[in-house]
Amino acid sequence: MSPGVSTRPRRDPELSAEPVRARRAALVRPVVADAVGGLRRNGLMVAAAITTIAIALTVAGAGWLTSANVAHVAAILEGQVEVVGFLRRDLGAAQQQRLRGSVEGLSGVRSAEIVTRAEALRRLQRTFRSMASINELLPSNPLPDSIEVRVADAREVKAVAEALRRLPGVDEVAYGGTVVERLVAFTRAVRLGGVAVAGLLAAAALLIIVNTIRLTIAARRQEIEIMTLVGATRGFVRGPFVVEGVLQGGTAALIASVLLATGYIVLARQAATALPFLPLLSPAEVLPTTLVVVWVLGLTVGIAGSEIGLRRHLQS
Amino acid sequence: MIHFDSVGKRYATGVEALQGVNVRIEPGEFVFLVGPTGSGKTTFLRLIQRIEQPTTGRVMVDGIDVGALPPAQVPYLRRRLGAVFQDFKLLPDRTVAENVAFALRVTGVDDLEVAPRVAWALDTVGLAGRAGDLPGRLSGGEQQRVGIARAIVTRPRVVLADEPTGNLDPEAAWEIMHLLAKINLRGTTMVVTTHNATLVDVLRRRVVELCAGRVVRDESRGLYQTA
Repeated sequence: MSPGVSTRPRRDPELSAEPVRARRAALVRPVVADAVGGLRRNGLMVAAAITTIAIALTVAGAGWLTSANVAHVAAILEGQVEVVGFLRRDLGAAQQQRLRGSVEGLSGVRSAEIVTRAEALRRLQRTFRSMASINELLPSNPLPDSIEVRVADAREVKAVAEALRRLPGVDEVAYGGTVVERLVAFTRAVRLGGVAVAGLLAAAALLIIVNTIRLTIAARRQEIEIMTLVGATRGFVRGPFVVEGVLQGGTAALIASVLLATGYIVLARQAATALPFLPLLSPAEVLPTTLVVVWVLGLTVGIAGSEIGLRRHLQS
Repeated sequence: MIHFDSVGKRYATGVEALQGVNVRIEPGEFVFLVGPTGSGKTTFLRLIQRIEQPTTGRVMVDGIDVGALPPAQVPYLRRRLGAVFQDFKLLPDRTVAENVAFALRVTGVDDLEVAPRVAWALDTVGLAGRAGDLPGRLSGGEQQRVGIARAIVTRPRVVLADEPTGNLDPEAAWEIMHLLAKINLRGTTMVVTTHNATLVDVLRRRVVELCAGRVVRDESRGLYQTA
């Protein structure tokens, strides 16, 4: 008997107890078997394609991780922005609390806290150890009471400062002025830049993957040509190639996931000890979404690449 | 069976490949399509397979207007037509049996039927003993016989052969033509384009001659050239 042809007897779907399931299985099995056969026959080409796709996905994933961390650091920096209002000396404690109430009612304010002059002095002494004995040098505490206001969004800091300045009982307002404005402009640019870089890398990955799959399909144009000439339907021609695309995209996504996960875990651990001031996102916080992105990108592009690659060969 | 009714085909490049062609081929006929290169022979076959569509007129196969067929129906038309090519079009990385089985598998024939039908087709072309070989190990004539086995394994009512002996030495060419004649005797309609005058003259079958896209001769037991 011819060795190339399967002669294994199989149960006739018509006679099966579950004809519908058997029929479906009979339809699915050859498509998957054809896809696996196709991958095996074109081993070198497929290995090259999977490597290329894995690299592209890893780069795109790294872009995503960088962008997420940049946004995280920017958010932390912005969260530290605050407006300080120095209060008039004649303001009593009850008036101060009323003022705090109205400050908290201002739009853009997250929280407000009264800092007494005694507390302010203690902080000053804590910050500058050399001034520990300043009490003894001064006849009285020269610092005023103040109100520290944290804003909901760093971009609103100027507006909050203006509103605070207009409130009765507030003498003077400090918020870092241009420094904060520059910080806001910087973090906004970094955020946009991060998104743009991640987007560009994803687009590049997409192009590379589609092109790679197109090449593997072009290498098999004769097979496709014969298929269409002997009367294979479009669906039949497409099926194994799309499954192949999914298998290629999936394998590459798996490789990229392993590289990204191990790489990020090692990096985060090293950064925690070597650069403690750099607050990176923990792997648990950022890896799940990153891997979802990598898998969605890998599978989608696997299917899209096959469809685009096949289109020109299926025209006649 | 096949009816060309005032068929014209003009390509996008402006080339008039066929003009006013009227040919009727009855079931079971063996027809040689002859004529110089560029006379429209290949276009004639491609119109039957619906690889091309006529610009004017109608091509009917089994009563179906092939040009008007919706694209989704084209595969089912092609399953009724076996095709043999000058360059064999075999898949080099698959065995002889797999190449023949390919035509059945991609048309969704049940696995149970594949092996006996492949065995029958290979037996018909005299290659039962080479089923496990790769095409690269076969001679040109043997490779073309695999191509013919693939064309007949679906049991088509028509076989279209485009220069099937074009790449073969005279002896192999004669074997191939003899094989096509044998298949024709079983009732399969055969349309064969060729430049091989000897074969046409020895077999003495119907000859349709094309020249510059027009039918210039149609003889029932013709020669390659008019005497």
